[in-house]
Amino acid sequence: MPESLLTPSLLRRLEQFQLLATRRAKSTSRGERRSRARGQSVEFADHRNYVAGDDFRYLDWNLYGRLERLFLKLYEEERELPVRIFLDASESMTFGEPRKFDFARQVAAAIGYVALSGFDRISVIPFPNQPPYSEVQATISPTDYNVELAARGGLRSVRGKKSAMQFFRNLNVLTAGGPADLNASLRRGALEARHAGVAVVLSDFLDPAGYEAGLTALVGRGFQVDIVQILAPEEIAPSHFGDLRLVDSETGGMQEVTFGRYRLKAYQQTVQNYLQRLREYCQGRGINFFTVSSNTSLEELLLKQLRQAEVWG
Amino acid sequence: MNFLAPAAFLFAISLPVVVVFYLLKRKRVVKLVSSTLLWQKFLSETQASAPFQRLRKNWLLILQLILLALAVLALSRPFFATKTKPAQLRVVILDASASMQATDESPSRFEKARSEALKWVDGLANNDQMVILQAGANTEVKQSATSEKAALRRALQSCVCSDGPTRLVPALRMADSLVRDQRSAEIHLFSDGAVPELNEFENKALPLVYHRVGKNSNNLGIIALDVRANPENARQRAVYTSVANFTSNSVQTDLELWLEDKLLETRPLNIPAGETSPQVFVAQQDKDGVFTLKLSAKDDLAADNQASITSLLPKPVKVLLVSRGNRLLEKALRATPEVELATANDLTDAGTVFDFVVLDDVAPTVWPKGNVLAFHVTNTNWVENVTRIEAPAIVDWRSAHPLLRYAGLDNVQVMESLAAKAPSWAVSLVDSPQAPIILAGELGRQRIIWIGFDVLESNWPLRVSFPIFIANAVDWLNPANAKSAQLLVKPGDPFRLALAQPEKSANITMPSGTTRTVEVDPKANEFVFGDTLKQGIYRIHIGTNDMSFCADLLDNAESNIKPREELQLGKFTKVTATKMQRTNMELWRTIASIGLLMLMAEWWYYHRRTV
Repeated sequence: MPESLLTPSLLRRLEQFQLLATRRAKSTSRGERRSRARGQSVEFADHRNYVAGDDFRYLDWNLYGRLERLFLKLYEEERELPVRIFLDASESMTFGEPRKFDFARQVAAAIGYVALSGFDRISVIPFPNQPPYSEVQATISPTDYNVELAARGGLRSVRGKKSAMQFFRNLNVLTAGGPADLNASLRRGALEARHAGVAVVLSDFLDPAGYEAGLTALVGRGFQVDIVQILAPEEIAPSHFGDLRLVDSETGGMQEVTFGRYRLKAYQQTVQNYLQRLREYCQGRGINFFTVSSNTSLEELLLKQLRQAEVWG
Repeated sequence: MNFLAPAAFLFAISLPVVVVFYLLKRKRVVKLVSSTLLWQKFLSETQASAPFQRLRKNWLLILQLILLALAVLALSRPFFATKTKPAQLRVVILDASASMQATDESPSRFEKARSEALKWVDGLANNDQMVILQAGANTEVKQSATSEKAALRRALQSCVCSDGPTRLVPALRMADSLVRDQRSAEIHLFSDGAVPELNEFENKALPLVYHRVGKNSNNLGIIALDVRANPENARQRAVYTSVANFTSNSVQTDLELWLEDKLLETRPLNIPAGETSPQVFVAQQDKDGVFTLKLSAKDDLAADNQASITSLLPKPVKVLLVSRGNRLLEKALRATPEVELATANDLTDAGTVFDFVVLDDVAPTVWPKGNVLAFHVTNTNWVENVTRIEAPAIVDWRSAHPLLRYAGLDNVQVMESLAAKAPSWAVSLVDSPQAPIILAGELGRQRIIWIGFDVLESNWPLRVSFPIFIANAVDWLNPANAKSAQLLVKPGDPFRLALAQPEKSANITMPSGTTRTVEVDPKANEFVFGDTLKQGIYRIHIGTNDMSFCADLLDNAESNIKPREELQLGKFTKVTATKMQRTNMELWRTIASIGLLMLMAEWWYYHRRTV
């Protein structure tokens, strides 16, 4: 339900924001974003020589009076900003207290709401794709399966503030499970997009295959990429000690480790090293990067961190 | 291959312990996590990526360093040098006499002394040598000089405590000869000090170190035992005994008299501290047997709580008097109980059917082979350089000799006597200023009393001492008495038995009940049995004869088990008990034990910190 994702007060505050795109919108659809395209708006862009067949209504008569030559006034076309949210819905996102996936959906809802409020087109791409029903029929009823299938379809392209409720509803229906392939999902999303825009990646970035290829594809396609890495508190500071046999929820791989409190610092150092590498990678490619724990306050992220980083303003 | 410290193999017990550590399966808790990616990175980062890393404070490291240091320390075999000076040769004398069986030290003085001596073996430096002597009834060299600790330990372990008295003199004499020319040598005596006189060593400056064992003197012992015919009734036997109380309190005990397996009498005794209680038992005896006395009181030394003696019934003494007629002598002989006297003018055979022969001023045709009491005869086989002296004055006589017991020669005058210098086989009993006139001794196995004068040429027969002397002589010359004396030996002393005819073997039942068969040399005319270390009754079956002999301690000095603080060597020299510890007190065993504990602590810590 929408209430479970974002509180009304938060929604009200989010309405004040607009996504800040550093690049001109490249969409073909008209919207409220400045673009390089010339078209109809109130923003004067340039003059050009009249050629036969041009609309007389855009002739600059004042200039003709001074120079006795025909010039055409060009105006900037305002286009929409396509916003693509890559939502990690893999098994690893179901961990944490609160669940990382729940937190990610809240962030997705907030970004989506801001985008919808700014008349931008939003598409949410949960990955991995929903598996064929035959594989999951033991765990999910056909109704639920179809509902989620419909919701995923409904999230492909949403526009206009009036669609916000439906948008939230569809987000709420999503479930997480299965192994993620971050690189493949991002690359496919980059290729599928007809126009580059803003890409927001909500994931834990704990993919053994890495993240570099996917992010490079997005950046290369011309997306302005924002990353929110969501980690569970347990992943940052484990509370289980002793002789452990750890089972990877996605790959099923096992890792035997003997872990005591004395090694907590070393582990946290490893986490910091990992985050630092990711951060440096993003900085090198102009990607906004945020790391949050799933138990941090949503307002803190949305109203402070994203705003300070000028994701929106 | 030899091992200096075979006991160290006990550490092999730790090998299975290590295996057990590894057998213990580490139980891992299975935990489902979102991703193992970070863990993999964590493990790869903490594993060695560079040959060296900064040294961090790690208790495991410290424990292992300590462990290694302890192992190195143990291997270096450190020791505490005590005040004892180093000695290149140490002669260890282990007292193995009966008093060392006292149980005031746990488990006994002998074991305590042995363990002390073993410590000295442990403390032996690599190039030093040691000799092990066991001083019991005989001195035994258990190990000649060696540095081999294993051999020395083995020698000490093979020492056995006997029931016999201490004979320290031969042991010290041997030790003295071993250390005499050594520059730095010591004699270590492990004893309770219950030893006889050591006057011999007064001026020898023995490098003697006396290690005293024993704490107190809680002992009651039978120190004397004899059996004779009852003087008041010759048909009865009288058993004479003395029980000494060496404790510091008066003791009540029961003294039991057994004849073979029959209890004859139980007598309650109350002996004050330090006193000796002489007791006489009178008993009927129908045949030869063994009287046994037992003390019921419990004390620290059991060896002297029981004593046995073989009692042979008196038999008539067959005596042949070869004389030209001497009524006084004949009367004196006949007056002696049990004597069956025969008289003759001359001796034509060896006189072997008689127990002894009396030669009275005759020169027999055949000299007797048995025991002889000879008056005024000259036999150059017995005495040489016989001279005649007129009216010899009797100036001295040996009153301690059994022959002159209660027979003083006061007021005895002799008209004329033969005199001879005492030969090697005899001692002088009565001396004139010129030469001895009465000799007694044992020549071969023949006991001879030689009296230089004819009694009829003296006033001796008129003196009371004469019949007493004759009675003493009958006792002394009677082979049966000598035989019965042979039937009581000290533990450790050999038992001797004259053989009338050649024998091949003898069966001996030991006090413990075991039976041994001993080969006898058919040419030997004497049977000797030496394994009498244990006291008690030994029963012998040899040829057609059955007999018993007894080994008894009966030693006042040995029963007095009070540990002596000092050993008196003569009048002016004494050796005080040392409190010296063994030198070179080795520590490696202790260190190795601590190391083992450290190892366990390390294991415990390693597992604890992962939880």
